[in-house]
Amino acid sequence: MNDKDIQVFITGVRRYFDSIKKDVSVVIEPPFIKDNDKPFLEYTGIIGISGKAHGAVCFTANGVMLENILRFLNETPINRDVICDLVGEIANTLSGNAREEFGRDFLISVPTVSTGQDVRFQFPPDGRNYVIPIIWQAEKAFLLVCLTQDTR
Amino acid sequence: MKLLIVDDSSVVRRAIERDLESGEITEVDQAATGEDAVRLYSAKLHDVVTLDITMPGMDGLTCLDRIVEINPEARVLIISALRDKATAIDAIKRGASGFLCKPINPSELKEAFKLLVED
Repeated sequence: MNDKDIQVFITGVRRYFDSIKKDVSVVIEPPFIKDNDKPFLEYTGIIGISGKAHGAVCFTANGVMLENILRFLNETPINRDVICDLVGEIANTLSGNAREEFGRDFLISVPTVSTGQDVRFQFPPDGRNYVIPIIWQAEKAFLLVCLTQDTR
Repeated sequence: MKLLIVDDSSVVRRAIERDLESGEITEVDQAATGEDAVRLYSAKLHDVVTLDITMPGMDGLTCLDRIVEINPEARVLIISALRDKATAIDAIKRGASGFLCKPINPSELKEAFKLLVED
């Protein structure tokens, strides 16, 4: 995993938020590395990665952003189950889209969803943790890319 | 026309149903797993199936194989986050009629559905 690989995920984030509503722009701040504490928010969708890379890709956001996305999708009613479904689906989409660059051997799991700071996932101890900050409609989310192997 | 929507995300299933709402579709079934999809398809032989790939239990490509075994003429549109050409080519070789990548673009979905129905 290197700085260049992160661009694949940034492209995926932009594509995802543009798909919700084209005229509502997403701001992606410069990614940073945070190897210790991970900035988990209220809801986190986690995709385990295996094959040519090992680790996880996580999308974490507060309920307000996820509720806003669901409103744009005309989803009703909006409740905790639907929010958990959405955060998992966003993590799935952003991980799966990365295969455009990394190929078919970048294997992704089905999503698991955690709420709150207590995210139960065995992150690779020797991997770099890239954090991509996302701002959409004044709400912040993060995409965490925690992988051990080089994806090329 | 009978439509079967297969995806483990209920949000995605409902979005697809809303995007494809039209007078042509008289009946819509939804399945969250490949196993449920095969069961529903074998009972009703839907005119069109939209099918996710990454799902718990039976994955979408295995589900596609089962559906094609039941009906070699099945019209199956894959809608997946897996944005690599190898997976798309594999799905088409196994009998899918089309392949769309998530996030879903409603216009592309409607166009792909129209092409499937006209085929």
